[in-house]
Amino acid sequence: MPKSPSGSGPPRRSKAKAGVPGKNAPRPEAQILSPDARGGTSTEAPPAGVVIDLPARPRKAVRQREYKPPSAPRFRIFIIDSGWNSVARRVLRHNFALIRRLHKEELLYLLSRKKSVEFIRRHRSLIGRDPIIAVHDLKAVELHGTEHFHGFHLHLGIPRTPRQALMALQTFAQFVGTHRHSGNLEAEIRSDLRREGMLGAVEILLHKVPRALGR
Amino acid sequence: MLDRFGEAVSVVLGALALAYLVYEIDRRKRKLRDLFHVLDGEEADISADLLSMVESGELQPYSREVRA
Repeated sequence: MPKSPSGSGPPRRSKAKAGVPGKNAPRPEAQILSPDARGGTSTEAPPAGVVIDLPARPRKAVRQREYKPPSAPRFRIFIIDSGWNSVARRVLRHNFALIRRLHKEELLYLLSRKKSVEFIRRHRSLIGRDPIIAVHDLKAVELHGTEHFHGFHLHLGIPRTPRQALMALQTFAQFVGTHRHSGNLEAEIRSDLRREGMLGAVEILLHKVPRALGR
Repeated sequence: MLDRFGEAVSVVLGALALAYLVYEIDRRKRKLRDLFHVLDGEEADISADLLSMVESGELQPYSREVRA
């Protein structure tokens, strides 16, 4: 004999507990907050059991901030990345927003992958060195164009480990941030970043240069 | 005889240590030079290419606001 669904088993509890409305019960808040019930134009209250759609809260219009170019940029920063699956690429992508925030006063240009590949194809000496952060010193470019010193490249494709890439990026960020009013940028790049000269050799010996960078 | 031999060994070892030091410093400097490459006349064409991309309007400054 087949068992009836509501057979001899333990009686199922009703889902609706005392004071808790069931699924199909009218939503009390819908009734309370409906415009009519709040004393709107209509005097008739909606019949019980009718769910009234509340008007959606008007969303605040998303403020579109207009881009204001920096008033007195010292550098033009280009990011060239053809898309090698390298640790540096990942490090750069993870920290790009921070770099942007730290250097809001500079002009930043981000080359798309396609443009980067085209650019590197035109300048083949750069193959394998990207991601490249090219920093052009606008003051130097104004003075004597690109024929003499006019900036530097950070070749992020050279570091092999994420730590090395991150340290290189941090060194770059600190240098650009602290030398934007420099009178002799070339000399400062050579002494502070590249550790040229006898003093640089001593600093390398004394581990003033992060070991991860020099390795 | 042993004294002279010992002296010679220490001189050679000292020279080797010094050579290693010079080599290591040079290697690290070269690495730094590669990493932070100074732009001058040799890279004029690379920089001029980037500048021409900016001047032609092909490249626009990155303008997306970063949320505070």
